[in-house]
Amino acid sequence: RMASTSSTPEKIAEKVEESIKKAEEACAGDPQTGECAAAWDEVEEVSAAASHARERQKESDPLENYCKDNPETDECKTYDN
Amino acid sequence: MAICAVYTTNSLHSTCFVPTSTKTHLGFHQRQVFFYTSGKKTRKSSNFSEISCSAGDANTVVIGLAADSGCGKSTFMRRLTSVFGGAAEPPRGGNPDSNTLISDTTTVICLDDYHSLDRTGRKEKGVTALDPRANDFDLMYEQVKALKDGIAVEKPIYNHVSGLLDPPELIKPPKILVIEGLHPMFDPRVRELLDFSIYLDISNEVKFAWKIQRDMAERGHSLESIKASIEARKPDFDAYIDPQKQYADAVIEVLPTQLIPGDNEGKVLRVRLVMKEGVKYFSPVYLFDEGSTVSWIPCGRKLTCSYPGIKFFYGPESYFSNEVSVLEMDGQFDRLDELIYVESHLSNLSTKFYGEVTQQMLKHADFPGSNNGTGLFQTIVGLKIRDLYEQLVADSKATAPLQATKA
Repeated sequence: RMASTSSTPEKIAEKVEESIKKAEEACAGDPQTGECAAAWDEVEEVSAAASHARERQKESDPLENYCKDNPETDECKTYDN
Repeated sequence: MAICAVYTTNSLHSTCFVPTSTKTHLGFHQRQVFFYTSGKKTRKSSNFSEISCSAGDANTVVIGLAADSGCGKSTFMRRLTSVFGGAAEPPRGGNPDSNTLISDTTTVICLDDYHSLDRTGRKEKGVTALDPRANDFDLMYEQVKALKDGIAVEKPIYNHVSGLLDPPELIKPPKILVIEGLHPMFDPRVRELLDFSIYLDISNEVKFAWKIQRDMAERGHSLESIKASIEARKPDFDAYIDPQKQYADAVIEVLPTQLIPGDNEGKVLRVRLVMKEGVKYFSPVYLFDEGSTVSWIPCGRKLTCSYPGIKFFYGPESYFSNEVSVLEMDGQFDRLDELIYVESHLSNLSTKFYGEVTQQMLKHADFPGSNNGTGLFQTIVGLKIRDLYEQLVADSKATAPLQATKA
């Protein structure tokens, strides 16, 4: 079993897990129903949201974030010339 | 409510042209229409009061991008907005879960915002988001039409985390509007509004491989759950999403490689850029000689390739009974800077200077697909869109005085 990704926000990670469980239940009787397809569609939607959230988190650089709020500090000052 | 206070500000980038004659078509720009006047709570009123003058005296250019969920729409959008310069960011101070991206020239809206049924609604009715019954095409048409005519709209927000429809956000008419999602070419009225359309066609094998890469480490997911999710959505995908590709001006097909026999990993890809012939303002890219059929292996003294190498193909084909030109790349680059060698043999790229494709690719070397045909063809399509936009604007500038005198 693979370890869970620490980078996915907890709230979304829980949603993914929960939606998969629900989809498996919804499809237990008949996998051809609309309810089953809708349930797996929700899994896809939440998984995509999780991936986007991970992407956003990866992009955020701690120093860049700090410098947005504190552009006047020594470590953030930049001059064009 | 709905007090439509409208200022014509000159502080915005575009120059505001106020017609002296009230009869010119430009008068339409000074209007703002609210499609949402129900009792829904709206944000601070300051958001309502200003309206930009769109792209000066030219109408908004509308681009449609269709693809399934998890097929690289957002990477493509980042490449596209980068071609126009400036970073694309979510609207400032609005809903943190907004799907919209705004840069100086481009506004990207996600068509999921036009879901008519939220997550619970779809579950009750037993329909997926791919189903047309879960989407409000009337509102999509009205709002895209309004933006194209230079009128700001109040667009709903579909929250992908909660699965609910959030209160709307104000979208001002940009120079270039990109509508991306599952159904940009589904409704004939919306399709008619598009100045250019793109379809990302990911083969089943590659889709599966990409979703494994994306989801496998996610808690609760397994090979079975990923497979089940793709299988369950497939009937609706085949019925409602896939047929849209026949309307696209450019299709990017992503297939398993043919360089490694039996490869299904989805790491090495064969990518095809299918370009419709005869589209106004869009002249397809070609390799060596326009209209010929060419197979080219660039690996050798001038391009370092390791196993399995790189193979290009170019030639005319027919696609849904349309005449098209196809440019294909199989394999991947080892050293991105050597892409300049490939670029120098391609023509009609619509670059502003020699090496622009390579430079754009190097700028985003960390994006998925930067070492294969997906990144290369997405970048090329981005440049073609810039060219199309510039020609459209030049044309409308040339014809605008004529129309004014007619009126």
